[in-house]
Amino acid sequence: MVARWALAVCLVVACGHDHGPPKVRKLDPRDKPDGTPALRGGGPARSPRIANYKLDARFDAVRHQIAGTETLTWTNTGASPVDKLPFHLYLNAFKNEASLFMRSSHGESRLAKASDSGWGWITVDSLMLGGVEQVAKLRPVGLPDETVTELPLAQPIAPGQTVELNFKFTAQLPEVFARTGYKGDFNMVGQWFPKIGVRTGPPGLEQWACQPLQALTEFFADFGTYDVAITVPTTHVVAATGVLVSEVESPGGTRTYTFHAEDVHDFAWAADPFMQFKYGLAHVDEGQTVKVQVFYRPEQEAFATRHLQAAIGALEKFSAYFVPYPWSVMTIVDPPPDAAMGAGGMEYPTLVTTAGDSVFVRPGVKLPEFTTVHEVGHNWFQGMLASNEPEEAWMDEGINEWADAHVMADLYGARTSGIDQLGFQAEITALRVALGEDPASLPQPIATAAYAFVDFDTYASASYEYTLRALLTLEHEVGSTKFLAAMKAYAKAFAFKHPTGRDFYTTISAQLEQDLGWFFNPVFQQVGGMRLSIRSAECRQAHGIRGLNEAKKTVLEADAPDTGTWVCEVVVQNTGVVHVPVDVELRFTDDSTQRVHWDDRGNGTFERFVVEHSTKLASVRLDPDQKILIDSPLDHAYRLEGDGAASLRASARIASWAQTLMQVVGP
Amino acid sequence: MVKGGKKPLDLRITLGDLLGSGTRALTRYTGTLLTVFVVQSLVAIAAMLACAAVLAQAFAHLPVWDEAVDGDLVSLALCIRFAKANMLACAGIGFGALLLWQLASWFLAGGVYGVLAQRPEGRSETARCFGASGASTYLAYARLALCALPGYLLVLFVFATCAGAMLNRIEHALTVGDLVLPVAVSLLPALAILHFLWTVSDYARVELTLRHESHDPGALATYLRSVGFVVKRPLTLIHASLGWLGFVLITVGYMWLSTGHPMFGAEGAVTLFVIRSGVSLARLAIRFAVLAGQVDLGGSRALPPRRVEIKAEPKAP
Repeated sequence: MVARWALAVCLVVACGHDHGPPKVRKLDPRDKPDGTPALRGGGPARSPRIANYKLDARFDAVRHQIAGTETLTWTNTGASPVDKLPFHLYLNAFKNEASLFMRSSHGESRLAKASDSGWGWITVDSLMLGGVEQVAKLRPVGLPDETVTELPLAQPIAPGQTVELNFKFTAQLPEVFARTGYKGDFNMVGQWFPKIGVRTGPPGLEQWACQPLQALTEFFADFGTYDVAITVPTTHVVAATGVLVSEVESPGGTRTYTFHAEDVHDFAWAADPFMQFKYGLAHVDEGQTVKVQVFYRPEQEAFATRHLQAAIGALEKFSAYFVPYPWSVMTIVDPPPDAAMGAGGMEYPTLVTTAGDSVFVRPGVKLPEFTTVHEVGHNWFQGMLASNEPEEAWMDEGINEWADAHVMADLYGARTSGIDQLGFQAEITALRVALGEDPASLPQPIATAAYAFVDFDTYASASYEYTLRALLTLEHEVGSTKFLAAMKAYAKAFAFKHPTGRDFYTTISAQLEQDLGWFFNPVFQQVGGMRLSIRSAECRQAHGIRGLNEAKKTVLEADAPDTGTWVCEVVVQNTGVVHVPVDVELRFTDDSTQRVHWDDRGNGTFERFVVEHSTKLASVRLDPDQKILIDSPLDHAYRLEGDGAASLRASARIASWAQTLMQVVGP
Repeated sequence: MVKGGKKPLDLRITLGDLLGSGTRALTRYTGTLLTVFVVQSLVAIAAMLACAAVLAQAFAHLPVWDEAVDGDLVSLALCIRFAKANMLACAGIGFGALLLWQLASWFLAGGVYGVLAQRPEGRSETARCFGASGASTYLAYARLALCALPGYLLVLFVFATCAGAMLNRIEHALTVGDLVLPVAVSLLPALAILHFLWTVSDYARVELTLRHESHDPGALATYLRSVGFVVKRPLTLIHASLGWLGFVLITVGYMWLSTGHPMFGAEGAVTLFVIRSGVSLARLAIRFAVLAGQVDLGGSRALPPRRVEIKAEPKAP
């Protein structure tokens, strides 16, 4: 009997959520194609549509393998001829340990680890150009890495000329650890087809930008249209970029879903036998609403609701802050918890993956919401403003983080945007400032190419947090209304283009009608940050001048008695390279305050303030309104008389815990 | 060495008797309980003062620390990052206090068992009995602690194994329901073994105290005999587990009541100190009552083998 019970317990413990065997799925009527255009309300092309793809993918759910065909229509929109075509073969990053990605990541990506058995790869089986087989001419760039291959052209492609290339390829998904791959029955399929690079540079001097995939780099591609047919077993449901245009039963127990997307620069999809959709509508402007859908497994229902609300809120807020969301649909894929570390938290146009589902993340902890808001936000900063992620990661990650801070505060409250649980509250940006690395200690500036960062921590601190903190600081300095207007103008100017850092600096400076070089240069181009602190603060009793006077008579303490007032001297210093004007609040023992201002732009690295007051100085606070976020605020406040009361209270708590443990181990 | 007299287990002692022993001991030897509590509080207060000095050294001039102690998460994160060394020092002080208490507890436990076993009358007689018993069994208790070490290693091994097997489930739990079973599987086997080993140690101490003068039993033999005794008398485990249940209930109750009721300022600090002391005293009283029951039950055990030493008499000149 006991053995039976033990066996039953073991079985229950060993199994997770048991979904049973996959069953043939019938689509929810809301999933049926309804003729919704890819662009909200239809209308003309929003982008140059340089690279247009027609893809056909037949998915083997057992081997997690795709047999694909691809028709790429590419136009040379530059002013110089093209004599070679480079293609990304991203999945080869997971082919072996010789790939640049594996060498630079050591098989780890954002806390997820590569599996020893689930390697991924892609092979081009055929490439036709002008009716001629070209596959033998393909040559990998940068062997042993195989994530980029080049096709030399016998006949250069002239400016304005369009070519059509036909691929046949086989793609094997890896076990997911870096955005794409499978985990159990769940499949997240990103960067899965041969994808052409981007020509950048001034007219006539264009160069290919087609970086091999490294540990810290992401993706860069041209806008275009995508028509993608995905054939999967009828047991599986598919979520994908764009709108569903047809759904056809195919022989052999398969079903073909066809998706169409316009003015996007990537196409990703997910397939799973157990997932379902949850829907909502976002009102982003006066026009047609956006259909927002979350793709999740039943046990994640509660989190799916949170993601859906966050996504709708994010779409509406981002649209208001920048430009209205242009597409008809937004899909959020909520990966199963065991796949979330590898597949979660990634952005693709109109489809993002989220994360953060855990029993430890109670409703008051906004981690899942933040993940969704951040990824949805990427549909602006990278989806529409398609900056070069490998070269300027801060332009999508950092600017997006700055926008996220606003959106989170709008959606969840300024003081509770991070945590609102058990009486504890924290604003998400303040929490990140507290937990993040001090920008002044970073060894590389923000404007460093992603692949050139010394390690992940530096990349993340510089590209995400330091940029967020810098933009908030600049916003506080110039005024929120003006800065938001400038950012909106930047978004409008560069939507569906490839903006660079220089575009950003010049647009913001022009919009704010001031040369912001004093800020942008040291913050984005230099190391050293801001190191603001109170060097000294002390008070002396005021009295007349003692010593020898003009009559050579000695004036003693009795002749020049104390006046009863205090002369207080405060020295403030900034030993960093970034100089932002700062307020200094002096609080006296009678609880009165006095503010002084220090603008150290070009005025040295320290300032001495001398004030006379009827009572002594009690404390000094730098930046009392907390406008400066690029410096650690820990020692921005200083009290002249030490006070150990708080330490005693904290220690009492420690002692209480210690006594509890004593009672466990002792009599 | 000769064998001691064997007598059958006294099965007439019931859980009610053990609980009754506890309440009688609490009323009769309240002073002894308070003495142990005062010593324990002194160790805790010493640790508190040392920690306060370490923290004040880092934070006395930084108002952000006041906000952190008052529950501001952002300030707390800033302070912890800023003064990692000071925080580690506080953890070290806490650990040191715990070790110190462990050493002192061998004396105190010996004294308590001695008092409960010999039932002295009057304050001075109780004090003499407490000191004499604590001193006489101190080294025996130390040896007993060494004998118990392999068992604690087993507990660690079981915990690591179970937790390792369940880690994936715990990490990916979505609801409290998902969490309960894996956490139980991670903790309960180790806790069950730990409970058993602690009960064994308790009864071994009782035996060492009761039979120290008459039989001078060895620590290892006593430990092993106590394993047998606890296995044969599940009442020992039930009785001790009731004590732990009370301990946990009081602790959790205090935590539950104190959540959301921060007590700021000097007045709040004093109130908190009094409440915490009350909670500690209540838990110690439960432990004291359990010890009293264990002395009664331990007294019913078969006598241990008597160790005989033959000393050579010096010849008369």
